[in-house]
Amino acid sequence: MAIPARPAPDPAVGAIGTSRTGARRRLGQRGWRDAVAGWLFVAPFLAAYLLFLITPFLRGIWISLHDWNLLAVAINPDAARFVGVRNYTRMLWGDGIVWTLDHQWGMRLAGLVAIALIAWWWHRGVIGRGTALAAIGAGLLLFGLLLGLNPADDGRWGDRRFWPIVGNTLTFVALTVPSVTLLGLALALGLNRDDRTSAVLRTAFFLSQVLSVTVVTLIWQLTFSPRQGMLGHAARSLGLDPIQWITNVDLAMPAIVIATVWWSLGFAMILFLAGLQEIPAERYEAARLDGAGLWSIIRFITLPALSRTTTLVIVLQIILHFQVFGQSHLITRGGPNDATQVLVRYIYQTGFRNSELGYASALAVVLFLFMLVFAMLQLRVSRGDD
Amino acid sequence: MAGSRSQRRLLTLVLVVAALVWLLPIVWMVSLALQPNDLLARTTSNVAWGLIPWPFTLDNLTYVLSQGMTPRWFLNSAIVAVSMTLLVLALSSMAGYAFARIPFPGRRLLYPLVLAGLVIPEQAVFIPLYTMFADWGWHNGYAALVAPRLAVPIGVFLMTQFFRGIPDYIEEAATLDGAGRWTVFTRIMLPLSVPAMVTLAILTFLYAWNDYLWPLVSASRPEMFTITLGLASLQSNFADSEGLGRVMASGVLASLPVVLLFLLFQRQVVRGIAMGSGK
Repeated sequence: MAIPARPAPDPAVGAIGTSRTGARRRLGQRGWRDAVAGWLFVAPFLAAYLLFLITPFLRGIWISLHDWNLLAVAINPDAARFVGVRNYTRMLWGDGIVWTLDHQWGMRLAGLVAIALIAWWWHRGVIGRGTALAAIGAGLLLFGLLLGLNPADDGRWGDRRFWPIVGNTLTFVALTVPSVTLLGLALALGLNRDDRTSAVLRTAFFLSQVLSVTVVTLIWQLTFSPRQGMLGHAARSLGLDPIQWITNVDLAMPAIVIATVWWSLGFAMILFLAGLQEIPAERYEAARLDGAGLWSIIRFITLPALSRTTTLVIVLQIILHFQVFGQSHLITRGGPNDATQVLVRYIYQTGFRNSELGYASALAVVLFLFMLVFAMLQLRVSRGDD
Repeated sequence: MAGSRSQRRLLTLVLVVAALVWLLPIVWMVSLALQPNDLLARTTSNVAWGLIPWPFTLDNLTYVLSQGMTPRWFLNSAIVAVSMTLLVLALSSMAGYAFARIPFPGRRLLYPLVLAGLVIPEQAVFIPLYTMFADWGWHNGYAALVAPRLAVPIGVFLMTQFFRGIPDYIEEAATLDGAGRWTVFTRIMLPLSVPAMVTLAILTFLYAWNDYLWPLVSASRPEMFTITLGLASLQSNFADSEGLGRVMASGVLASLPVVLLFLLFQRQVVRGIAMGSGK
């Protein structure tokens, strides 16, 4: 539920460490004992860390370089065949791939407009140079180069499903993150008070966050059902035809987004509330004495003070929702027609339904690389050097 | 925040209505669990779209508490969540104490290397972990469900941050009295760190109780399902399930521990989320 942080190392540590190193040279006996004690204290965690995180991570890269059938290797350990980077070329490339100027031109034009906007913000000083250059570079790479690639008339992708699934995952993120962020911000602004009612309301809005994904999908799968669901009952009592959420290609993705927004709103609200607590009360007092209204206080004091929190909320949510699995797996089963198939579910199915562990591992490595970019972003924001 | 009294009243009213709407899905699940199965087979909107449990029955709850697989799944979840929480606390507090307070050689290199593990998501390692545990014959056992989470460094990070905040003189006084590291850790540091440990314990318990992907991969025998995984298996075949009321009752039961935990320890949950997010 909670997202692990990519925290910043504390700059003070280095200094303390250095002075203690000096002290140790004088106290040889004690230094020795510290060395033994320190490593013994760290050893249990370190063993788990190496065994259950680092080893599988490296082994995953190794498996991704093989044609590794789950069932075949289970019977005969020598059945894995080394294929180099072939899993990756199958995923990312194909036969007769060409670059054309007009492929997906609508989306690419929109991307170029976004890049121009970022450049304008940089020019106006809204964002820093590093952020601007990184965003512009990534944008040009994506919209200028990558989206122009497509198979020529006689060519085809190595894996026709991969890029559409990446697109679905990004669509899910693009619909969920702004909704949760805006709603969470609005709720935090409304509930940032010290009275009993606000405390109870905060609890009410956060409650759905502690439920497991399978409880959430249990509730929403039925809620979306035209015959049995609450939404269907409501529609019928208004004399309307119930909407076929799950089976409609255009509505399946909005359906799992709605369930996810309901589930994860509390997280954004909590972080915004924490951010609001950090704004000194004097700032509000001064504004009120100047006769500023509610909206101008929010606009000119609250929102600017929340800019770092907002960035953090957005980045954390991108990391969280990019790994969406349960909602797609249980509410829509990836359908209809792959419309809600997402990356983690594709990895799961490739590995455990099609038994292609090698290709599934290559997909997982690419997922990791996507996440790494966002994790680096979070690190920057947490450090506050943006 | 500014705003006239009537504006504030209106805002409160809007927020109360919104909160009630927000809670409707949960109310609905509870209400369906309290209605007879044969009624639900005909209609889920008997009174007020099914939001009012009438006719009322406790049959579904008593059924899932006593029969079927739900009691076993509940027990599995409890075993996994409690042992994972205790082990994460032990490993994280020991490592956190060492990183924060013991100047052992190599720690300035080791600590960033450990934190680097935070960028590796569960989703990136579950396939190789599956093959490793399969080689060791661990699947469909409790160890397989607990072990992967022990390697996640978030607890070490939280505990290291906490121990760094304890003033030096407390430890130095004990050391001058001749106490060894282990004594200082168990007698002085652990009692001081109870607030941080409670936060970490609750976050770990919530994670363990709610985790879905890894139990789905590791536990293939229904007797080894956690309640979260079992609930998924019930809803993937609604048609031939034991009846809607019973499935909903299992959902209520699965939610009960985490909801109670959250209601009792709201402050720690909220603080844990803020801390764990780098705020």
